[in-house]
Amino acid sequence: MFKKVIATTLCIAMSAVVLAGCGSKAGASYPSEDIEVIVPKAAGGGTDTSSRGLLTYMEKNMEGLKFNVTNNSDGGGITGMATTAAADPDGYTLGAVTVELDMFCFQGKSDLTYESFDSIAMPIAAPAALIVQADAPYNSIEEFVAYCKENPEAVQIGNSGAGAIWDIATYLFEDEYAVSATHVPYPNGTADIAAALTGGHIDATLADPSSFMTQIQAGTLKALGVMSEERTTLLPEVPTFKEEGHDLVVRAWAALVAPKGMKEEDLTALRDAAKKALESDECKEYFESQGIEPVAFIGTDADKIMEEDYAMYKKVFETHDFAE
Amino acid sequence: MWANIVTALGDAISPITLLLLLAGTGAGILIGAMPGLSVNMGIALLYPLTFAFDGVTGIIMLIGVYCGAIYGGSISAILLNTPGTPASAATTLDGYPMANKMGQPGRALGLSTMASTFGGVFSAICLMIFAPQLAKVALTFSKPEYFALALFGISIITSVSSGSVLKGVMGGAIGLFIGTIGIDAMTGSMRFVFGSTYLMGGISFIPILIGLFAFSQVLSSVESSYGEKFEKKNVKIKKVLPSLADIKRVFVTMLRSSVIGTFIGCIPGTGGDISSFICYDQAKKWAKAEDKEKFGNGEPKGIVACEAGNNSVSGGAMIPMLTLGIPGDGATAILLGALMVQGIAPGPLLFTNQPVQVYTIFIGLLLANLVMGLFGFSLIRVFSKVINVPKEILIPIIFVMTFVGTYSYNHSMMDVYVMVFFGFLGYFMNKTQFSMSSIILGIILGATAEQNFSGSLIMSSGSPIIFLTRPICLIFLLISLLSLLSPLYSPVLKRIFKKKEA
Repeated sequence: MFKKVIATTLCIAMSAVVLAGCGSKAGASYPSEDIEVIVPKAAGGGTDTSSRGLLTYMEKNMEGLKFNVTNNSDGGGITGMATTAAADPDGYTLGAVTVELDMFCFQGKSDLTYESFDSIAMPIAAPAALIVQADAPYNSIEEFVAYCKENPEAVQIGNSGAGAIWDIATYLFEDEYAVSATHVPYPNGTADIAAALTGGHIDATLADPSSFMTQIQAGTLKALGVMSEERTTLLPEVPTFKEEGHDLVVRAWAALVAPKGMKEEDLTALRDAAKKALESDECKEYFESQGIEPVAFIGTDADKIMEEDYAMYKKVFETHDFAE
Repeated sequence: MWANIVTALGDAISPITLLLLLAGTGAGILIGAMPGLSVNMGIALLYPLTFAFDGVTGIIMLIGVYCGAIYGGSISAILLNTPGTPASAATTLDGYPMANKMGQPGRALGLSTMASTFGGVFSAICLMIFAPQLAKVALTFSKPEYFALALFGISIITSVSSGSVLKGVMGGAIGLFIGTIGIDAMTGSMRFVFGSTYLMGGISFIPILIGLFAFSQVLSSVESSYGEKFEKKNVKIKKVLPSLADIKRVFVTMLRSSVIGTFIGCIPGTGGDISSFICYDQAKKWAKAEDKEKFGNGEPKGIVACEAGNNSVSGGAMIPMLTLGIPGDGATAILLGALMVQGIAPGPLLFTNQPVQVYTIFIGLLLANLVMGLFGFSLIRVFSKVINVPKEILIPIIFVMTFVGTYSYNHSMMDVYVMVFFGFLGYFMNKTQFSMSSIILGIILGATAEQNFSGSLIMSSGSPIIFLTRPICLIFLLISLLSLLSPLYSPVLKRIFKKKEA
């Protein structure tokens, strides 16, 4: 009995090894074989959806390009990102990285930084939006700030977990306007924040507006401001914090990257394919159908965003202690 | 609303969805009918397949497996006196005598098919009617209410755990502990991580489930079938459609059991096994004095009560899962995970944000139960052959599937090691009669309870009064206390009642 079990297992294991061994990298032009892409988040989330969307449309824009996506969300994404960074920079292992890359190094969770990678493209950078109940007495950022000042510590602002990006957005908001609020974490994600906000259990949130669009359109919630460089296409009527004279930019991004050291010409080829993909209308339509505002930061533009955010989070983590 | 229902209907009866529904339900019945393969195991093993399909299509397949497996368990319960799944344990009481002593296996299977379909359809309709209403109420639930609800679910461990209360509590504590491993979502601090990157994200639920329910089962099957001589059992099944006289006789029982089953399904922490025993007990209590003795000797009402009772749990269990995001058992916990992977976030807003998906799930559940009935009446002879599959063939297949399923879930070899570890743990827990469901409950509800407890305190700036000033929260806390202490006071109550009767 047990022999049979062992034999079956071995057979499967060995055939897998044989199959994996097939194919060599002898081809002349890049890419001569399938490229593995490691997505450090679970299948179906924003990072996964936007990465897969970008890859699908890149395949259409470059001859012989074929991606195989694997998801590895171990350790909140650290494992996946570390695997990409440690891979051979031959262009056959790429990966996605997320905004957490700029935070993990300050939280003592990993040594990786944006400098371990070369960016190909960043298709998603969701900003934090200040969202409140539609019937609330405040109708602008200034009025909300005034309300916070009248009720110190009493205003409850929802986030998706202490020390996570939307919590940091709330800290930055408090610092900028010299107010203080109660941070209420909803660690299962923005859907729970939306339910709590709609149900009137909290007063506001600073989070990616895409999960709140149905409620905003239905008139139960309203957005007062967006923490982005320019107005978002999701909420074209809503001013940015920058317009009001406050330099607050918090964005949840994900980017397709290569481990540092890839051949410059291959990297350029991938960046060109990504640029063409992200600028095509069908790709934009796909992103919008998934409730994601498509952006297109290619190569060094994406590196710049990662670098800027790194500097910002460095400052945040030096001045705040989130472990408490 | 009607436009949404029409769109959902279009989604649900597209060829690919229908095909998957048929395949899922069929696979579910087979899995359920094979002794040793449980509902949870079937869903966990087929879960990775759902990644291949967009939207709710894969979820409808899982729903098919869920419904089919609960029903399939009755086939081996009736023909072999071995419940295919724990949910059918009570079905053996009258099902086997009717098939064996009375020589009417067809009648028993027909009754069970009818009752299962009726219970499933009844609960699907209840889900459609009550879930949207509950979603409106659920919007008023804040962190204290969610905490009280989760606590209530955990408190049920003591009454659920088979046999020993102490072992149930211990199992629950193990589950609670496993739930605390990883980065604390509320504060961001690390707990029991020991510098391991894998542990930072917490131990994934699927490997634990596959280990506890599938791998451990493979181990004990190997042990029990070692040296056992395989005997082929030939069962002649004639008529499966229940007679009009039988339908008349059992209809009230079937309806009552469906109501009880749906209600029990709604309560976090309960499942088909408890429901079928309670329904059986109720059927016996409501029976006329002269009928009471027939129970245990092939009474049709006994079969119908159990099968309507366990199948109606499916719709009930989906009510809190969809409206509150609180899964009632292991099976609905996997369904919850599958929904989230597809970008469908269960909770009170699901019904306004993604109405089409919700209606597609409703229609899927309804169809799954109808397909199950159709399969049952037309193909029962084929399904009953499953009980003759030799274990030498079955066990290696499942053994391989536990590894493939675990690995494909997250492409992580660590997950596979975790699965094997929990497989051995489950094997020894089985031997010592621990309830595996209590571990699962601890893991599922522990995190919800903890996060909402500390979240409540954040909202109230640290004052515990928040739990006492909110009526819904207070009621659930009191019920939890009662259910947690029930093993202490129920013997006393029983004594008092007995005295009265005497």
